[in-house]
Amino acid sequence: MNTLKYPSLRSRPGRVMLETGIVLLGFLVLLAITGFKFYWITDFMIFCILVLSFDLLYGYLGHLSFGHMLYYGTGAYLAASWLVYFNNDPLLALLFAVIVTSLIAAVTGWVAVQTKAAAFALLTMAFNELGSFIVHTPLSKYTRGDDGLIASPGKVFGLLRFGKDTDAFIIVLIILLLVFLVLRILTRSPFGVLIRSVKENETRIQFLGYDTQRYKWITFIVSAAIAALAGGLFVMVQGFVSPRAISTLSNIEIIFAILIGGAGSLYGALIGGVLFMLVKNYLPPVISAAEGLAGFALPQWEMWLGIILLIIVFSFRKGVFGFAVEKAGLLRQSIKSRKGA
Amino acid sequence: MFETILYGFTIGAVLYLFSIGLSLTFGTMHIINFAHALVYTLGVYSFIGFRDALSLGFVPAMLIAVVAMVPLAWAIERFVIRRLYGERLDYAIIATYALLLIGTDLIKVVFGTLPQSINVPIHVSVNVAGVGISLYRIIIVLVAVLIFLGLRQFFRKTVVGQIVVAALEDNEGVRCLGINISTYFSIVFVIGSALAIIGGILYAPISTAEPYMGMHILLLAFSVVIVGGMGSLTGTFYASFALGMLMALVGRFWAGGANAAVFLTMALVIIYRHTIKPRLHRR
Repeated sequence: MNTLKYPSLRSRPGRVMLETGIVLLGFLVLLAITGFKFYWITDFMIFCILVLSFDLLYGYLGHLSFGHMLYYGTGAYLAASWLVYFNNDPLLALLFAVIVTSLIAAVTGWVAVQTKAAAFALLTMAFNELGSFIVHTPLSKYTRGDDGLIASPGKVFGLLRFGKDTDAFIIVLIILLLVFLVLRILTRSPFGVLIRSVKENETRIQFLGYDTQRYKWITFIVSAAIAALAGGLFVMVQGFVSPRAISTLSNIEIIFAILIGGAGSLYGALIGGVLFMLVKNYLPPVISAAEGLAGFALPQWEMWLGIILLIIVFSFRKGVFGFAVEKAGLLRQSIKSRKGA
Repeated sequence: MFETILYGFTIGAVLYLFSIGLSLTFGTMHIINFAHALVYTLGVYSFIGFRDALSLGFVPAMLIAVVAMVPLAWAIERFVIRRLYGERLDYAIIATYALLLIGTDLIKVVFGTLPQSINVPIHVSVNVAGVGISLYRIIIVLVAVLIFLGLRQFFRKTVVGQIVVAALEDNEGVRCLGINISTYFSIVFVIGSALAIIGGILYAPISTAEPYMGMHILLLAFSVVIVGGMGSLTGTFYASFALGMLMALVGRFWAGGANAAVFLTMALVIIYRHTIKPRLHRR
């Protein structure tokens, strides 16, 4: 049995700031390693926000959703619509996207949290299909169907422009750090402990007198809201949104990222998000080079994704971060026992 | 209108053939088997392959495709699903989804992404009350009904069937009797896969064969399983035809809305089952 570790429920401000600083440092190092491609790392960070939101739902609450792209895509479309149809203030657009998506998630989430495991996975997937259909067909007058919406955001506080790579990087980095900070505090709060306990044994929590349904519902909404934020940022940076942003098929990418990084920890989500984006950016050239050598068409991206997923499920469940923590723990133990001897 | 109703029955029949396997794995093993969609799609593509390579007729090619897919279905159950049985459910879900990804990509490499069309084998149309309706569609519906009746006999009369029915009710109980249920799960899994392939091949001439065809029907079939009750064989049958009819009727007036109507029905059923029904019973 894996038992929950309960660190002090009061998050010490110093520790929280230190951890946020580590994340900041990590992304700056990543930026330097990849040769200061600001637009790359901006994309990485947006995806990391999405993976963080998914981690809250899957890693902490233990509910595997196959419909998380719905909230990302809804956020993206709402933000784009605000820019196109109202005004070009990016922060208002993001706020609008997050609030309206939360309201939608309040409805879909209320239905979804009635179910568990496999039913939850496919119900959320069905909602996602429904959502992408609604965006694509009945609302095509506003969303322009397959052509997508082109949006041009104005300046943030009259200073930073999303169109400029370095500016976009700074804005997204700040938002990512804020999201991390919020989730860091939330997951170590009594609320966070409660949702992790629901993952371990829901019936027992119900016996203790908690209305688990309500906590699951709230978690679902928070997770969707953060996903919408990621979607909104995507629109700001790309200046464009198409039905791809709400496609059900992309869900597996988030699941892949969270599994490879290590579910149930914020660092795992961040590492997974970065690893996934690295693989996504570096694998296609490798495949086409290999195709050139082999002389015939090789399976593309999805197949390698599938194979790595199978490997993870069968023999690498803790993910990179979980693996590192485990090894570090073993190391510490062996040092301790050596000292004792 | 008459044509719409027949179309509803046809979709219902195909949904039924696909959903049996899904419902059985759901009922016995509590996992959602994404690889079911893979077996379905591969079945149709191997049908195309055998038909073209050996220049066979429709029925022989179909039978060979079904037989050829049996080892694959068995291997999926034996080496992926069973190894993850009894662990956290999401691993089995993710692993079968991974299989679906791999298989879909292989199909894209071998056959290409373009939809493949398959000719309708029987062009005869029957004249009923002045309306010409396709005999082929009637045959699909008849096949589904015959399989339903056959399965009912199988689950009532044979030992294998009865053990499976008992396992649907109480998995642990059957195991306590000293019966090795995993063998029976294997059998049921293979039967479910074979029926899905038959459904897929019968449906392919009406629709088209494309690499994501299994993915599309999977969600609809899942709705059938939810509406019909997980692991309920009769429920699956009626739910398939009810939802097939719903799709045809909605599709007649608003082509895009057919799938949406099905998902909406599923959501309503879930709300009813989990929130309204318990409250009614409490009183």
